[in-house]
Amino acid sequence: MAIETLVLGAGQDIGKSCVVVTINGKRIMFDCGIDTRFFDSPTHRYPDFTLISPNRDFNSALSCIIITHFHLDHIGALAYFTEVCGYNGPIYMTYPTKALAPMMLEDNRKVMVDRLGEEELFSADQIAECMKKVIAVNLRQTIQVDEDLQIRAYYAGHVIGAAMFYAKVGDAEMVYTGDYNMTPDRHLGAAQIDRLRLDLLITESTYATTIRDSRYAREREFLKAVHKCVSSGGKVLIPTYALGRAQELCILLEDYWERMKLKVPIYFSAGLTIQANVYHKMLISWTSQKIKDRFSKHNAFDFKNVKKFERSMIDAPGPCVLFATPEKISSGFSLEVFKHWAVSENNLVSLPGYFVGETMGHKLTSNKQAKDDADTKIDIRCQVHQLAFSPHTDSKGIMDLVNFLSPKHVILVHGEKHKMATLKDKIHSELGIQCYDPANNETIYIPSTHYVNAETSDTFVRSCLKPNFTFQKCSSVDICNSTTIDKSLMPELQVEDERVAEGVLVVDKGKKAKVLHQDELLLMLGETKQDS
Amino acid sequence: MAEQQDDTSEQPLSLRTLCTMRSFLLHPSTSKRTVSSIVETLTRTPTHHTLKLLSDAAAHRPDLGPSAVVLPADSSPHLTVEVLASSLTDLHLDDARFASLCFGDSVAARVWMLRNAGSKFEVRPGLLLAVLLGFTKDPYPYVRAAALEGLAGFCERGGESKDVELVEACYRRAVQLLRDMDPCARLSAVRVVASWGLMLASSNSDMKTYWSNDVFAKLCSMARDMNMKVRVEAFDGLKKLEIVSEDLLLQSLSKRVSGHGKQKQALGQSTSEQFVILATSVAGAIVHGLEDEFFEVRKSVCKSLRTLTRLSAEFAREALDSLMDVLNDGSTVVRLQALETMHHMAISGRLKLHEKNLHMFFGALVDDNWDIRHTDRKILKVVKLNNLALFKSSIDRLLGNLDSYPQDEADVFCTFSHLGRNHKKFVSLIIKDTFEEIEAALEGNVEFNSARIAALLILSISAPLLNADVGRIPAVMFSYAVTFLGRIYNAFSDIMDRDSLLACLCEKSRSTEYSATNIDLVEGEQQFPLLECDAPNFASNEVINSKIDSHITREPKEVANYQIEQQRSEYDEVIKFTNYILAKPHDMWQRIQSGHANEVLRSLRCLKELTTMKFDSLGSGGADALAFTLLYLRVIELLSEVWEHLLPAKRLCTLGIGKLEFKLGKLERRVKELISRFTGFSAQDELNVLELMLLTYALRMCKDEIIGMNHTIKRLSTLYLRVESILKESSALPSNFIVELGKVLSGTSINGASCNLLQFDASLEFFSLKQFLFHGQIKHVKAELNISNNDLEHPLPFVSGLPVGVPCEIILHNISSESRLWLRMALDDGFIHHLFLDLDRFEGSEEVTKFTFVAPFYRTAEAICLTLKICIGLECLFENVSPVQRFGGPKRELALLCKEKQVFLYKVNKD
Ligand SMILES: [Zn+2]
Repeated sequence: MAIETLVLGAGQDIGKSCVVVTINGKRIMFDCGIDTRFFDSPTHRYPDFTLISPNRDFNSALSCIIITHFHLDHIGALAYFTEVCGYNGPIYMTYPTKALAPMMLEDNRKVMVDRLGEEELFSADQIAECMKKVIAVNLRQTIQVDEDLQIRAYYAGHVIGAAMFYAKVGDAEMVYTGDYNMTPDRHLGAAQIDRLRLDLLITESTYATTIRDSRYAREREFLKAVHKCVSSGGKVLIPTYALGRAQELCILLEDYWERMKLKVPIYFSAGLTIQANVYHKMLISWTSQKIKDRFSKHNAFDFKNVKKFERSMIDAPGPCVLFATPEKISSGFSLEVFKHWAVSENNLVSLPGYFVGETMGHKLTSNKQAKDDADTKIDIRCQVHQLAFSPHTDSKGIMDLVNFLSPKHVILVHGEKHKMATLKDKIHSELGIQCYDPANNETIYIPSTHYVNAETSDTFVRSCLKPNFTFQKCSSVDICNSTTIDKSLMPELQVEDERVAEGVLVVDKGKKAKVLHQDELLLMLGETKQDS
Repeated sequence: MAEQQDDTSEQPLSLRTLCTMRSFLLHPSTSKRTVSSIVETLTRTPTHHTLKLLSDAAAHRPDLGPSAVVLPADSSPHLTVEVLASSLTDLHLDDARFASLCFGDSVAARVWMLRNAGSKFEVRPGLLLAVLLGFTKDPYPYVRAAALEGLAGFCERGGESKDVELVEACYRRAVQLLRDMDPCARLSAVRVVASWGLMLASSNSDMKTYWSNDVFAKLCSMARDMNMKVRVEAFDGLKKLEIVSEDLLLQSLSKRVSGHGKQKQALGQSTSEQFVILATSVAGAIVHGLEDEFFEVRKSVCKSLRTLTRLSAEFAREALDSLMDVLNDGSTVVRLQALETMHHMAISGRLKLHEKNLHMFFGALVDDNWDIRHTDRKILKVVKLNNLALFKSSIDRLLGNLDSYPQDEADVFCTFSHLGRNHKKFVSLIIKDTFEEIEAALEGNVEFNSARIAALLILSISAPLLNADVGRIPAVMFSYAVTFLGRIYNAFSDIMDRDSLLACLCEKSRSTEYSATNIDLVEGEQQFPLLECDAPNFASNEVINSKIDSHITREPKEVANYQIEQQRSEYDEVIKFTNYILAKPHDMWQRIQSGHANEVLRSLRCLKELTTMKFDSLGSGGADALAFTLLYLRVIELLSEVWEHLLPAKRLCTLGIGKLEFKLGKLERRVKELISRFTGFSAQDELNVLELMLLTYALRMCKDEIIGMNHTIKRLSTLYLRVESILKESSALPSNFIVELGKVLSGTSINGASCNLLQFDASLEFFSLKQFLFHGQIKHVKAELNISNNDLEHPLPFVSGLPVGVPCEIILHNISSESRLWLRMALDDGFIHHLFLDLDRFEGSEEVTKFTFVAPFYRTAEAICLTLKICIGLECLFENVSPVQRFGGPKRELALLCKEKQVFLYKVNKD
């Protein structure tokens, strides 16, 4: 038996995560994302679904789809796949992902239709139609997809509702991580999973070679910069994505404001962000332990110091902190505010995360000297602070997870090609685990565990119940390798319990396999001898 | 009983029935027959409740042997084991029996045996360890966990194995199980790795570093376990390490694995190779722990850093950066723990504050939470600041603290006082500016922030107050300080009381050319020069009083004097100190007699202050000596107060008789305490103490009080007999007072009608205070009493009218085996019940005995809740005043050995 992994997206690349895994005859699609970098090219944007089924009979080709979280590169192609390609089978995702997915999909549809003037592939109603096929799951709840296929969601951190998924068919077991974070942040917890006997772990590797410093240091720098700015009367602009980062930073600031008794107002730009806070408030059980602990007293998303920002307040005097979308300052409200505030050296722009492409954010972070922006004609004098916050695990986190789970095989997806190669070698050399980093549309075959069901003899069962350990003296292998510690000469005391090992698997022709106790076997053999 | 037996056929027993049974079982007067029939009933339907009851019963009734437990044949094997083992509590379960139960078929029974072996019953260690180690290989995870728990428990009970090979095997097995599939097994494995790893490390001094490093790395490798409890346990384990290589410690602060360990010559090549092997599992463990999602983990890491920072200065420096960042943590508990850890670092000299830390460190001073601010200041009180800039910003931020939280004033002032004392040089560097500011504020007519000025004054005067050398501090500063006395004296309460501070300030403000030579520190000088008159109402007077003689201000200098001597070994120092203090009252006696009690009292207070200070600053080394000294000073203090009012000249015009009676009562209690709570007196010491008692009784006789007179005379005579017998044995000479008192007593009939009070009066004239010389044999008799898990929110349940068991954890110190100890239990309504503590039943030495005693209390009334006051008392020399109690009780008076503990009880519904 083998587990077959077909990588349709995010192979040696970031974007459009989509991995189709076949285990013991069952076929699962993990994630169904789009590549947001290729908005203008539908062929690059979507995974090549024809590789699953050349005749496009997806319903019989797939047992189910599992979506790990609501980011577009993991869910963006879902409505297209169901409504345009015609997939009708079950789709699983967590409750928060199901709640937030329609908003994400609709946003994306609007961008494609309105901004790119693309022909409408599916309508808003069709997104609703697609969502009807979704079955929402809870964490650590074992779902029987069909008679043979079991799945279970584990907490992944990353964004609200993000989950890793465990799947089991027969004796073969695997985990697909999606995006995850191994360190908690202010509003989400760290990934949490049990020790399992895995044949395969498919993990993201966004930061395959980066090792991040303590989160505290990043928070300290951020708070220090913001505090310094507002206490000297400046304004702080934090361009941010509506869901996730805004809440995290806001909790951080709110907490600091409370402790330091600061009275400077914190604003959220109208609309989306306030809405997002409402979502987080509802989904409190999916946030971090810290927030849950404090929930009885105070909902962390009930921001006491946060007020709604009006356009008329842009030029009002006095210090303040403002969260505004979009995070790339490419357009919209954050750009508008930026134009007003960037001209004063008293003000601060705090940029979360990394940017690509020709956006203001990118320009600010890549070259701080380019103070005079030619395109927008803004004389940029403000201070710029970059926030190295990321909701992805770093390479140490990946190693720690792989080490904790100790699967037989690892497949890396969702990363940069050369960095993945480095991590692949590291996993192999340090942990001794076979590791792969397939490119898009490549298939990996790995052997899977198959247990033979066998009857057991009463003697064997009885023997298993009886402890039967022995003490032995022998030299252990790992100590022998050490040249300096002269332990290799000294035998070590070790304990062995042979009772399970005393079982002997006997397969007679035409009969079901049976486990006998070794003494029984000797007896049996003895009898056969006498017979012949 | 018959009725109850009827309804226990097959159904489980109702809680009500169980409660009734419990009270029968625990009540001592229940007959044996009833007990065994209850036990029989209980064993017929084994459940958790019945088992609990059985084990309680077994604990209370040693007579209830295993024979009483008749087990039904059809009960499940593991319950059988539980019942058997429960009823065998405190008895010896023989090794063969233990082994056979362990190797039996029932997994649950096996788990029970492994978990409880060694704690609930004794097994030969060799056998126990072999069995436990063996079962760590069991296919069942819960058996593995139980075996590991058994191993960890063995260590926690102080068990030790001399068989290094076995220790290593246990350790290695636990290390393997750190990767167990089951979180329970991993948790227990962590505990075993920590405890057995350390045992292994201490078994061989050559390998100590090697194994300690290994334990450190193994525990660190669990920092990324997915189970929170496992992580907490791992970090808790780090606390116990005594040595870890510096490079490994540093690695735990960095997620990046550094290529090679620092080549430390002293540590040799092996450390470096070991580093390469272990570095990956250690990498960033502390950082991971500090940013953990669960506050329990973060708190545990902060706590462990307390120990770890002691192991390496370099590590302490680096860890401080991480620790400072924790001050931004969302959880107050964690922030507080981080500060507590820094406080410990400061005490052990490991806290080196840097410019880059200041933003975070001083941020805590404006924290919304009082505890956080307080702890931050606690650090400032002890930390040694490296440069003037740091010192200055500390002052600024503390003043800022005072601005934003005026309610913190007392503690901020106290911080300034310590800051000044610890940084004399810096104070003198800024004194010019400070003085100008203070002068401008106080001399000019400008409005000023008085809290700020008070703070600066405290800072400026704190160092010279203890120091002979005033430096460049203008004398007028001390005068200024006097005007703030009421506000600032608390900042110095750790070294002197308000009166001494005032005296000291006055002294310093007068002498512009103050120097050490002005003070004669030679011992034996004239201690109490005669004053022209007393300074009455001195304590409430804040105005400078020029009549105060300089002798009062000597005390602070003595503090300084003693600080110099701190290099001496602690114990010698205490003995010397004690004798120094103990010599004083003897010298003071003349002053008391001549009616200068006020002045003596002030000096006595200073001495007490000094002794208390010493007491707090020391470990257990000289605690007994200092406890004795303190009590002795207290006795002398009371004595001089009483004495003054009994002097012939003053007798009529003094305190109301009620107050005097009160003081006399206090004196009597204190002297009794002196006699009863200390052992190891020499004959002369004992005579001295007894003489004080005789004096107290004689003083009582002088008070015009007829009511208790007979009684007092009786006691006086009894005590006198004892004194006489000691005199005979020791061939010591009786003092004049004793001789005179003997004469009076022989002429007085016990029935007292003819007793002549004036004779007692006359005998007092002969009394003089003897000097104590402390030899180091005197031991303090004391007890510690604790009732765990009991407070207002967690009361003990009781059924009205039935006895309730109160689990008392008791620690006794210096109690001789002949002592008769009682547990006194009192209700608010005056009801008192005494329970005899039979010392033969508990194992321990005379120095310290530790045991748990379940005290039954019978008078559970109809009230919904009860508050029971429990205390341990020692039967002492003196006969009981009140008639002997109906239910038996101490024949003699009890000297209480600990503070009264409140126990909260509440009634449970019977139904
Ligand atoms: Zn994502």
